[in-house]
Amino acid sequence: MIFWRVAALSLRMLSRNRLRGALAVLGIAVATFLLSAERAVHRGVSEATNASQGDTRLIVYRANRFCPFTSKIPERYVDDLLKIEGVKSAIPMQINVSNCRASLDVVVFRGVRAVDAKAVLAHRLRVLDGSFDAFLSRGNGALVGSALAARRGLKVGDNFTSAGVSVTVGGIVESDGPQDRNACYVQLPFLQSAMGGVQGGDVTQFEVEVHDATRIHEVARAIDAHFAPDRAPTSTRPEKAFVARAAEDLVAIAAFAGWLGIGALIAVFALVANAIVLSLESRTREIAILQSVGFHGGLVAWSVVVESLALALAGSILGASAAYFTLFFGQFGLGAEGVSVEFQSSISISLLSIVAACVVGILAGFVPALSAARRSIVEGMRGA
Amino acid sequence: MNDGNAFIRCSKLTKVYHKGDQEIVPLRDLDLEIERGSFVSLMGPSGSGKTTLLNLIAGIDSVTSGSLWIGDNNLAAMSRNQLAAWRAHEVGIIFQSYNLVPVLTAYENVELPLLLHSMTRRERAQRVEAALATVLLSDRADHFPRQLSGGQEQRVAIARAIVAEPPLLLADEPTGDLDRESATMVLDLLSELNRVHGRTIVMVTHDPAAAHRAQIALHLDKGQLLRATSAGGAH
Repeated sequence: MIFWRVAALSLRMLSRNRLRGALAVLGIAVATFLLSAERAVHRGVSEATNASQGDTRLIVYRANRFCPFTSKIPERYVDDLLKIEGVKSAIPMQINVSNCRASLDVVVFRGVRAVDAKAVLAHRLRVLDGSFDAFLSRGNGALVGSALAARRGLKVGDNFTSAGVSVTVGGIVESDGPQDRNACYVQLPFLQSAMGGVQGGDVTQFEVEVHDATRIHEVARAIDAHFAPDRAPTSTRPEKAFVARAAEDLVAIAAFAGWLGIGALIAVFALVANAIVLSLESRTREIAILQSVGFHGGLVAWSVVVESLALALAGSILGASAAYFTLFFGQFGLGAEGVSVEFQSSISISLLSIVAACVVGILAGFVPALSAARRSIVEGMRGA
Repeated sequence: MNDGNAFIRCSKLTKVYHKGDQEIVPLRDLDLEIERGSFVSLMGPSGSGKTTLLNLIAGIDSVTSGSLWIGDNNLAAMSRNQLAAWRAHEVGIIFQSYNLVPVLTAYENVELPLLLHSMTRRERAQRVEAALATVLLSDRADHFPRQLSGGQEQRVAIARAIVAEPPLLLADEPTGDLDRESATMVLDLLSELNRVHGRTIVMVTHDPAAAHRAQIALHLDKGQLLRATSAGGAH
């Protein structure tokens, strides 16, 4: 009980030194914001690029091509693909992007045939607003992924133009996959025409679903072997491996961002330690007073640790909450070469950031706490 | 074990400080006895060792050699934590510069020692209110130290010293920073605590008028007891 009473006393004293506490809390909030943002980038990259056992989707790309504008595969390959053993479905897809390089606001158009939209996409996309019919009933109708719609503020019925393509939003769709959430689906003939191609001509890629996830690599090899002698040989990879390959720059950026996360934790450590050391310097007499009325060294150290924890907790809750809501409402994501990596906010990332900041905050207060506990009372009284 | 009748007994008490290469000996082989329930003033010129002696009796400084018994406790043999526990229950300290925590109210300052005692919030509140009433500051409970006069601050410090009802009160120049009127009030309070409540009081002072309130004046010089005189304070 004594420890709880002393903790309450420590918090009361901290709350009455608002300026001292506020500056430290602000710094910790900024550092935790960075940490949460870094974790969100890391999670987004992991989700987009890390393969899982249940993955059944392949991307068939033109061999030795790495950009949607140079990958050209005859649309007619779809018939051959459907005959290859293990293939469940195949969607020819034309890709057009507003920006080929890494960018925070890339619009990825995905042109698909109406038949594929009904047979395949209708099963994996959940319509939040509008309808598939509204999408298909207009030549320039579009199904916009939820993240792209939030980022651009798009609603059903809106017209927007990007990369020289003008569309009317027929529906807003949600999906479990980041590529769908950040894409704008349009009808294939419309996109081919808008890009100066011809209906039934070339497409950028095929999206192939396999029956058995355990045979995904075997089917990929079979596809590439089948088209190897053709005029447009293919390179087939599981979707996440394809994204990792296409978004190498983003993966590298995310890896670098990991250092920012470490830097943010070091900043939390330095800020808490600095705040506590300065606080103890200015409160030499207060600590001596507490000791003179009977507080032993352990209680003095405890009160310092409580103060460190309180600063770290307040700052990290502020920073992690700000990061969560910024990412949640901003729906930020990086796009490159037609693939997208989202910065995904989550409660678990926020909690992890808060816990990490608090642990670091306690560690930062530990040495000053021990130092305060060992101080001479007489020196403390004189030092004021 | 303190086998004499004295409440405070020093034997060959020595305190040595080191300041760089310099050795300072504010107390050297001091022998001293103070009876329970007495009001004693410690007098002497600056550097005579009176504040050092008070700090040793308060258990906020460590004995270099010799023994220092307070009741049945040999402070010279106690660890820092044991001394802290002893202070929490056995002694109240009043400083010249009041030493109140500036961010706590008068009530909260007085409550500080009780946080270390096993008692409910209501029991603490009763004790704090009684202590503030004793020093005639019930109406200033919610005031911060900066909102009080020097005399009021010192009375809050006295309330904090007595709230846990320790048998021993130590005062280091309690009237040194006060005007005559406030000083008189503080000395009246100390006299009352000694006479009515039976507290043993040891007070360091330069002021002959303050020393006159005690029953015995102990004169120190160069770390040793020069003489003990009857100071005239009534018991």
